[in-house]
Amino acid sequence: MNAVEMSNFSAWYGRKAILDNISISFVNRSITAIVGPSGCGKTTLLRSINRTAEMEYAFSCRGDLQVFGKQVYQIKEVDTVRKQVGMVYQIPLALPLSIRENVLFGPRYHGIREQSRLDYIVEDCLRKVALWDEVKDRQCDAAGRLSGGQKQRLAMARVLAVEPQVLLLDEPCSSLDPASTGLIEELLTSLAEDLCVVIVTHNLFQARRIARQTLFMLDGSVIETGPTDALFSNPLDERTRAFFSGLIG
Amino acid sequence: MNRRRLVDYVQLGFYWLSGLSVLLVLLAIIAYLVWRGGPQINLEFLLERPRGTPLGSAGGIFPAIKGTLWLVFWALFFSVPSGLVTAVFLSEYGSRWRIAGLLNLMIQSMAGIPSIITGLFAYALGVVQLGWGISLLAGGLALGIMIFPVIAVSTRDALQAVDNNYRLLACSLGVSELYALRRIILPRAMPGILAGILLATGYAAGATAPIMVTAAAIISSSSGAIFEPVMALPYHLYILFNEHISMDNAYATALILVVILLIINMMVLWLRSWQERIKQK
Ligand SMILES: Nc1ncnc2c1ncn2[C@@H]1O[C@H](COP(=O)(O)OP(=O)(O)OP(=O)(O)O)[C@@H](O)[C@H]1O
Ligand SMILES: [Mg+2]
Repeated sequence: MNAVEMSNFSAWYGRKAILDNISISFVNRSITAIVGPSGCGKTTLLRSINRTAEMEYAFSCRGDLQVFGKQVYQIKEVDTVRKQVGMVYQIPLALPLSIRENVLFGPRYHGIREQSRLDYIVEDCLRKVALWDEVKDRQCDAAGRLSGGQKQRLAMARVLAVEPQVLLLDEPCSSLDPASTGLIEELLTSLAEDLCVVIVTHNLFQARRIARQTLFMLDGSVIETGPTDALFSNPLDERTRAFFSGLIG
Repeated sequence: MNRRRLVDYVQLGFYWLSGLSVLLVLLAIIAYLVWRGGPQINLEFLLERPRGTPLGSAGGIFPAIKGTLWLVFWALFFSVPSGLVTAVFLSEYGSRWRIAGLLNLMIQSMAGIPSIITGLFAYALGVVQLGWGISLLAGGLALGIMIFPVIAVSTRDALQAVDNNYRLLACSLGVSELYALRRIILPRAMPGILAGILLATGYAAGATAPIMVTAAAIISSSSGAIFEPVMALPYHLYILFNEHISMDNAYATALILVVILLIINMMVLWLRSWQERIKQK
């Protein structure tokens, strides 16, 4: 079953085409990696799926984009799309609230009031991202004081607390040390038992370690996609081969 | 010493010089007011109504202080809610609506309207059309119209200064934009917004022209009744000075007004530094 399906999807910022006729699908209950040189449109692709790209000035798009069979761009309430499709961004940034309230920002809005349930969510989500032990004694401190890597994990906890069905991650490990990266990779692998995980990464080893499928993008187009092992060992397209051997990007 | 160093020093000297001269002008004004007006200020001057013939040559300025506070209150009443709503619209929804550009232009032009004209408009609308007469309410309306652009623009800028990524992060969790605004963006912009409001407050407290034609009276108890005229510090000062009633009392009144404005501006500075500290968090 495919969680996300795009066909002939194109997107623009103003007049500039960023995504060019993209047709891809992300399989449910699996990890898909997106790789490609800087500026090729990876972030824009993810932000088109959770419909946050349209928050940018002069964004427009055309084509087919379905999440679990529903046309995303025909849904009136963007909030429901954004709740269903969680996203962790490139910049490690905490909401200007306490650590605890960062995690609870989504759940509180979505109507969870019960204290015990809220406590549970905080602990559960922070444990999942391996942050609980570091912050359990200072949950009420301002989250802005956390380190970059801690903020990145907090961002993930914040998204998990909303219980998305699709999880998009934009270079989530770029400011993490190897140990936390390992923990996050484990987490993603276990999350992928229930949901569709899509990860943008510049670390090709990471793609190899965790992704079932890999997708190579260049200049707004998807050049090649397929099972990770096949793509790495035997790319069909010349450009993919060049990228993997370090010639592009 | 090489040439580049010399240029640096000259430039630095120039900055110091211009900074010092501004400071000197301010200090000179205050010093002069303290020298001329200071001796008149005592408890009676602050807490009594004007007396003597001609009126104001003796007694105090209490109703004028009170009246100014009332006028400022009504000015804020008319301008803060509308200013905030306008600013939120401009900053959060502005880019999506074409009329926002027009609105920006209108607010910009509104800020350029001479205050006497604002006063005449409030006179035509409030005093005459709505039948309020020369009154506190009409004065508040005039001042409110006058400071509305200040509040709208400063609030808009304070909102826009908030890192856009916060909007992105919050909305990505599936909350509505208004919720994100309430819980994240507004608190973050709050010191800047309050600073803008205070600045506008100072501007309203010192304005003379708009109230001359709408609200001010030579003598009034300034009870706060909205359909009664009020006394106000800048107008009282103007009368004392213009009718040669008492130069000493005029300077004393001016000193009180300046002190009030300085206090307000000090609060603005303090809020600005608070905003800076928030930013670094
Ligand atoms: N808000 C925007 N307005 C206009 N152009 C934009 C905007 N955001 C991104 N772009 C442009 O879209 C193109 C793709 O950007 P995008 O952020 O999707 O790249 P990316 O693949 O994520 O790069 P990186 O690996 O560096 O994060 C770039 O050329 C960028 O300049
Ligand atoms: Mg990116």
